[in-house]
This record gives sequence, structure tokens and C-alpha cells, in this order.
Amino acid sequence: MSAVVAEHEHDEHHDHGPQKGLLRWVITTNHKDIGTLYLVFSLAMFFIGGAMAMIIRAELFEPGMQFVDPQFFNSMTTMHALVMVFGAVMPAFVGLANWMIPMMIGAPDMALPRMNNMSFWMLVAGVLLLASTLFMEGGAPASGWTLYPPLVLQTGAALPFAIFSVHLLGISSIMGAINIIATIFNMRAPAMTLMKMPLFVWTWLITAFLLIAIMPVFAGAVTMLLTDRFFDTSFFDAAGGGDPVLYQHIFWFFGHPEVYVMILPTFGVASTIIPVFARKPLFGYSSMVYATASIAFLSFIVWAHHMFTVGMPVAGELYFMYATMLIAIPTGVKVFNWTATMWKGSMTFETPMLFSIAFVVLFTIGGFTGLMMSIAPSDFQYHDTYFIVAHFHYTLVPASVFILMAAGYYWLPKWTGNMYNERIGKLHFWLSAVSVNILFFPQHFLGLAGMPRRIPDYAVQFADWNMISSIGGFIFGISQLLFLYIVIDTIKGGTGEKATDEVWEDAHKHGLEWTLPSPPPYHTFTTPPATVPTEHI
Amino acid sequence: MNKTKQLLAGLILMAFGLGTAQAAYTLNLMKGVTEISNDIYDLHMLILWICVFIGIVVFGTMFYSIYHHRKSKGHKAEQFHENTTVEIIWTIIPTLILVGMAIPATKAMLELDDVQESEMSIKVTGWQWKWEYEYLDNGIHFFSNLDEASNKARQIDSGIDPRTVPHYLLNVDKPLVIPVKKKIRFVFTAADVIHSWWVPDLGWKKDTIPGFINEAWTSVDEPGTYRGQCTELCGKDHAFMPIVVVAMEQADYDAWVKKTQEEAAKGPDLNDQSHDELVSKGAGVYAKNCASCHMAGGEGVPGTFPAITGSSIVTGDVKAQAELVLNGKGMMPAFGKMLDASELAQVITYTRNALGNSVGDEIQPKAIQELLPEGAAPAASTEKAEPQEQVDASAEMSLDDLVARGESVYAQNCASCHMADGSGMPGTFPALTASPVVTGDIDAQVDLMLNGKGMMPAFGNTLNAVDFAAVVAYTRNKLGNSVGDFIQPSAIQSLQSAMPAEDDDE
Repeated sequence: MSAVVAEHEHDEHHDHGPQKGLLRWVITTNHKDIGTLYLVFSLAMFFIGGAMAMIIRAELFEPGMQFVDPQFFNSMTTMHALVMVFGAVMPAFVGLANWMIPMMIGAPDMALPRMNNMSFWMLVAGVLLLASTLFMEGGAPASGWTLYPPLVLQTGAALPFAIFSVHLLGISSIMGAINIIATIFNMRAPAMTLMKMPLFVWTWLITAFLLIAIMPVFAGAVTMLLTDRFFDTSFFDAAGGGDPVLYQHIFWFFGHPEVYVMILPTFGVASTIIPVFARKPLFGYSSMVYATASIAFLSFIVWAHHMFTVGMPVAGELYFMYATMLIAIPTGVKVFNWTATMWKGSMTFETPMLFSIAFVVLFTIGGFTGLMMSIAPSDFQYHDTYFIVAHFHYTLVPASVFILMAAGYYWLPKWTGNMYNERIGKLHFWLSAVSVNILFFPQHFLGLAGMPRRIPDYAVQFADWNMISSIGGFIFGISQLLFLYIVIDTIKGGTGEKATDEVWEDAHKHGLEWTLPSPPPYHTFTTPPATVPTEHI
Repeated sequence: MNKTKQLLAGLILMAFGLGTAQAAYTLNLMKGVTEISNDIYDLHMLILWICVFIGIVVFGTMFYSIYHHRKSKGHKAEQFHENTTVEIIWTIIPTLILVGMAIPATKAMLELDDVQESEMSIKVTGWQWKWEYEYLDNGIHFFSNLDEASNKARQIDSGIDPRTVPHYLLNVDKPLVIPVKKKIRFVFTAADVIHSWWVPDLGWKKDTIPGFINEAWTSVDEPGTYRGQCTELCGKDHAFMPIVVVAMEQADYDAWVKKTQEEAAKGPDLNDQSHDELVSKGAGVYAKNCASCHMAGGEGVPGTFPAITGSSIVTGDVKAQAELVLNGKGMMPAFGKMLDASELAQVITYTRNALGNSVGDEIQPKAIQELLPEGAAPAASTEKAEPQEQVDASAEMSLDDLVARGESVYAQNCASCHMADGSGMPGTFPALTASPVVTGDIDAQVDLMLNGKGMMPAFGNTLNAVDFAAVVAYTRNKLGNSVGDFIQPSAIQSLQSAMPAEDDDE
């Protein structure tokens, strides 16, 4: 009897270790492996999308056309956005969710591990399909990531491939979202009640609902493009009784919540990191949860603020203006909360905290310009200018991307068991924080002075700020190689200093993941923990 | 050297964050030259200063905390959290600030939207990649392209420094000319994809959408030249379709109208030209109108724009080529509307005998003129419609009086969609010439016009009875129609008075 048990245990151990060789990464259903796959993939896409941005900034370095054809330039702006949104930022947060949510809620794995594997590989297929359009006759899509008809219907052979790629990415995102919701609702440790969950888990739960609601809408919109182009429908063609503006309404019904898909988990990570380095609980845990839910709700009823100039009735303009202004309230609550969390704390400034503080400041600047743009009459000047480009890059690069960097530095020691090189980490931070402002701040001036977005060449009065912006862009781009170096270096052993279980002072009071060894074993919380930390609440 | 200096100056400016008025460095929104642009500027500054103030308070608090409440200074963390009073305060104060912002914003929005009581109308059509302007009151009509100097300099590896080109990328061959201190209504549409018409000094931009009409208005205070650009991505040459508006005093504007109408009346030069002349002049027409897509060397863009070199169309039957160029096909626009017979003959001859082709033949302007639709150039009407004129709807009017009056009513209200000659825009706006509605039962036509249908607006509340009867008579007896009947203003008035009054803001 006892021999049977022993053998059984032995079998179990054998079966459940990681597979040897490369096949491990193809067939894995382990949340940590899949999290790693997502993170590595998104980092690779961050560099590919970044390379496209470098081409854009090189062409814009000086007035006149120097390097690329205008059509290819348009392909670059389109592909840069699609790759960064669907290939880099979203998958990076899914990677963090895969790694951290089970460990944060005391679950052994994700609820649907095989679907988890499938959603990752579908993402890879989708992004590769999208990238393949670069080599097709007629070039990659060049109508902007918004894919507005009728322009997008002029795309060459790439159009059906791009649309199919959007379908794959959508299915992948929906499966990931279902998995996250199922995991959070069913697999929490008994002591982990909803209102004790770390904010990263909360924000992802809300984000997952957003994804399920919006991805089918986007899939529907691009399918209508497909049938307009190939099956003689006229959804968006006035000649057949359709309306090109209908597409914009559908797109932005997806598109506005989509930008919150990229920012809500960002809020979650910031709310997780700041209390640890301020050595204080988050100022208002429940108000943060409610603010996140309010922002998510509002995101569904403000879409047409992207379309103030399409000729809506004035009542529509006013409604969307008022609704959009409301978003400032829950967003303000968040910023005040982070500030109050730092207030009278005992702060230290390791790299994750530096990136988080820069996030709060620079995201707030992006929020201010967002508020300015919500004012409909003013938006008749700002719309489709570099002011908009500056605005959304402030909310994406020094916000989402900085927080992804912060998350990387924060959890790398946990994931690898090695400390990263703090000195190079800080160098990476300062180079990034300074250059990102040289890159994007002048774009506010350009937009206000009258430079439209998505142009490969410009009037000479815009020359100086463009040159400065490009210089900032090149420094920012090169600085990110430091991050790549640090990641590889840390995996290989880093400074040689082994990470402790809690890594950061008293972190075990803030999250379950810090009660596990560093690196955590392949399987964690096979039995749920009896108690959960509550310091963050 | 000069560039380095400018760059240094820029960096220094940025370092100090100065918003000083330096001609070369515009950092802020411009005030513009209209009342609405000034209102928007004030609104922009108000919100900006509110944001700056909030920023100083929030970031000030944060940086105070970062400086003082750090572990390295021995600060011990206090463990306070959750304070309902504080949380209510920081929710209510922003709400009040937002209400304060919404009031002036709503006022400006309503003002921006009010196109009523305009004194003249201009129809703007966006094309890939040029603007078409039609003055609905006097029939002036032309296309506006990027000017030649910019077009040359903007080619890849052109070797021309854009800094040496005056108003690089912001200059056109024919600017839009408008009088100052007049309320001008613009109607916008597009021929291919969505564009957006933006002149920052006027204070707004408006999308031009194929198959739909948008409206906006302006009234410029100061004579001057105001420049802008297309602001909705519209394909390859989106960056190269600028807008130039020249605002003139009324007298100068009137002179311009007269001169332009006289030139238009002369028509194109239809005299035969030598083969060499056609080819050499055609090169310029090609560079301006064709090279964006078919490329300067005629090689096209595989998969998107066909090559001219070796093309079976260009090397085939000259008449078939001319018909394609004149009438367009798919993404190829109809150049019959944009170029005159002489230019068309030149560019067609050029493509057949250059760019690697050598067919050896030519086509003369006269042959092109025969292929063009019957000259339906709108008669230049100098009459001005008085929108608020008091009318006596009870008086009996003759058919001739009604038709005469109907012409300007039609130009003001109908021509932007149904076109000045009643030909409509196939697929989008129905033609009135030989239309079953216009040539059928008169009561059915009147009913349709009073109440609208689909995209056709209801004119029952916007036209007075006399104008209404006049335009009915005009459409039934002009524009290629000759039904012969008409309806009296008094009959229209009784129909109008039976209509439910809606949004009566007159």
C-alpha cells in the first residue's frame, strides 16, 4: 500500500516537471511558462514596433523626403500602432496576468491551461500574419491603425490578411480574458475574498470584461470591411446606402475601451508597487476598485469624442463632451490616491519605484491633455494633429510601457531568483524618463502650431521641434537595449546576489507571491494558503 | 551652421519652457482671425491654466513628499489610510471645476454649429489629393493643387532644400478667395475617401465624407492669406494637399470674381498644337496630376497603381485611353472634370510618347472637347439671394418669373448635391435631369421636398413659399427638363402652414 503511494507520488512529480527541450515551450500549459512566452514575445514585438517608430522619426528628422516613400511611411505608422497595441502592450499585460494572478490569489495555475496555450500561439499566428503583409504586393495596410473606410479598401493584397489577423488576435484576447475571469472567480484561496484581492488582479478582472465586450465588435467591423471589399456589400459605401462614418462609430465603440484595456492593468501594477516602496498601505483600496470600475463603464459611452469633426448633430457633440469630461473624476481619484499613498511614507527609490513615480507624473500630463481634448470646440483645433499624438503617447509610453518596465524590475528577481543590476536599471530609467519627454513634449507644440498627424513631410516652421523630437526618439530607442541587456543578464545570474523570498522589504505583507521561494517552483499553491496578506488594503 | 543655431535656440527655449512669441517657434495655438477662433483660443487657455494649476498642486505635493518622506532621511511611515471626508472632497472639487469648464465650452459649441443666415456658400470637395472649390452663388469653380515649387522639392532625393521654397507644402496653385466680414457657409463632401479641411486661423476643421454633406461657417475679420492642410489620413499624398484661403476686402473680391468669370468664359484654347509641344507641356501636367500614383518614371506601384510604361491602355487605342482618363475608373479619378481639353490632350500625348512608351501618335484638344460632356458650365449669376427678404406669397407669379428666381435658390440649396447642371453624383445624389420625381406628379415632388426623405433634407421649414415654388418650377423646366407646369407660392404656403412646426428658431 505504502509502496503504491510512493510510486504514485514519484509519478506525479515526474509528470509535472517541465518538459525537457524546446518542445516544453510549444506544448506547455503551465501558467509560468506561458507567462514567460507572452513576456518574451511582447518584448520582441516592442523592439520591432520600436524599429518602425525609428523609421518614422528618421523620415521626420528634417523637412523633405529623405528615406522612404509616403505610402511606406503610412504603412509604418499603421503597423507601428498595430504591432505596439496588439503585439507588445496587450500581450505584455497578459503575460504578467499569467505569471502573477495565480500566485497573487493562491491558485495552482490558470483555470483553463490548455486554452491558455492555444491563445498564446494564436497570438503569434495573428501577429506573424500581420507582419507578413509588409512583404505583399501593394504593401502593408497604410490607412492608420483605425482602418477607416473608404481608404482602407484601397489596400492591396494585404487587406484580407490584415483582417484575418485581427480575427485571430481577437479570438486570442477573448480566450485570454475568459481564462482570467474563470481563474479569478473560481480559484482564489478561500481567505482571498474579492475585496482583499491585490489591485492588479482587480484591474485585470475588469479589463477582461472589457475585452470580451469589445473584441467581437472590432471583429464585426473588420468583417464588414471584408464583405464591402469582396462581396459587394455597402455597409460603409454611400453609393449603396451605407455610411463611412458608421465604421468610425463601431470602431471607436471598440477603440475607446481598447485604450483602457492598455491602461487599467497599468493602474493595477502602479497601485501594487507604490505602497511597497512607500512602506504604507494604499490610501484608498476600495475607492481605487470603484474608480477602476467607473472608468471601465464610462469607456463605453464616450466613443464619439474621437469623431467630433465628422459632422455629428450638436446635441451629440455636447453629450460626448460632457460624458468624456466625467472620466477626469475617477482618474483624478486615482492620481490623488497614489499621491496620498506616498505622503508621509518611508520611501525608497529602487528602479520599479522610479518608473512608477514617473508613470504617475507623466500619465497625469497625458490626462490633462485628454481633458483639454474633451472640450469639443477646442478639439476642432486639436483633432488629428500632433497634439493628439503627444497626448496618447504620454498615456501609452511613459504610462503603460513605463509600468511594464516597472513590473519587469519588480518581479524579475522573483521570477529568476537573481537580483538585477540596480545601477544599470537606474541608468535605464533616467535615460528613458528624460528622452521620452524630449521625444513627446515638443509634439504638443507641433500640434498646436498646426502640424497634422500621419504626414511624412512638413512645412519648414515645424522643422526644429521635429528634429528635437527625433533626437529624443533615437535616445529613447537605444536606451531600451539596456532593458534587454538587464533581462538577459538577470536570467543568467545578474549581480550574483540571490534574491530573497520577499525580495523587497516587507513585501510579503503586500502580496502572496512574496511568500513563495525565489524563483518559485514549477508548481505553486497546489494547496491554497491558509491566510492572505492584507497590508495593501 | 544656421541649422545648428536654430536647434540650440530650440533646446534653450525648451529648457526654460518659455512660451514667448518667437515667429519661428510657435508653441501655442494661434488666436486666428475669426470670432470663433478667438473664443476657442480663450477656451483652450482657460483649460490649460486650470490644468497647470492642478498640476502644480498635485506634483508639488508629490515632490514635497518624495523629498521629505524618504527612508534615507529617516522618515518613518505613518500607516493612515481611507479617509471618507478627503475622498469626498477630492471628488466634489474636480466635479465643480468640470461644470465651470462645461459652460463656456457649450457656448462655443453652439456658436460653432450655427450656419444660419449665411451670406454666401462655397462647396468644398476633397479629392486624392487636391481640393475642389465651387462658389454656389456665382458659379466659379476650380481645383486647388500643391504648388509646383513644393511639389518638385518634396520628391524623394530632389536635391532641393525645402527651406529655400517659399511656404513649402503650404502653398497652392489657386487659392480659395473669400471676402472679409461676410458669413460664409461651407458645404463639404469628398469624391473618394475621407479628408478633413483645416485652416487653423479659422478655428476649426471639418471632415469631408464621400456621399455626405457637412457644413461649417466662417467670417474672417482681417484681409490676409491663411494656410492649412488636410488633416484626415487620405492615402499616399495626404501631406501634400494644402489649403490656402485669401481673404480680401469686398471690392477686391468683386474684382477677382469678375476676372475669374471672364477667364472661365473664354474657355480652353482648342487650337491644334504640334506633337512636340503637346509632349513637352504634357510633362508638366503629368508631374502635377499623375506622378503621385503612377510615379514620375511611369513605373506605377505594383499591386496598387498600374504602370504607364508599357501599359496596354496607353499604348493601345488613343480614344479608349482618352475616355478612361476623362471618366475615371475605380481609384482613377475622372480628369475630365479637373483638366481642360488642352491639358488633357497634352498629358495623353505625353504618356504615349514618353515614360518608356513611343507610340508616335497624338491627340488634339478638339478631339478631347468632343469627348467631354456637353459644356454645362453654370451660368454666372450676379444676382444675390436675400435670405431674409420679406416675400408676399399670395401674389400670382408667372412661370418665367419663378424659373428666373429659382435659379439662385437652386444654386444656394440644391446644387451642392444635385450639381449645378442637375446631373447629381451617380450612386450618391440622384440626377434631377430626367428624374421621374421631377418630371412626374408635381404634388409628389412638392411633398418630397417639403418633408425630405433619407439624405434629402426637409426644405418645408427652411425655404419661404416663393423660393420653394420658384425652385420647383426651375427644376421642372430647366436642367434639361421641360415639363411645363409649376405651382403657385400661395399653394406652397397653405401646405407649409399645415406642416407641424418643428425647431422653429427663425
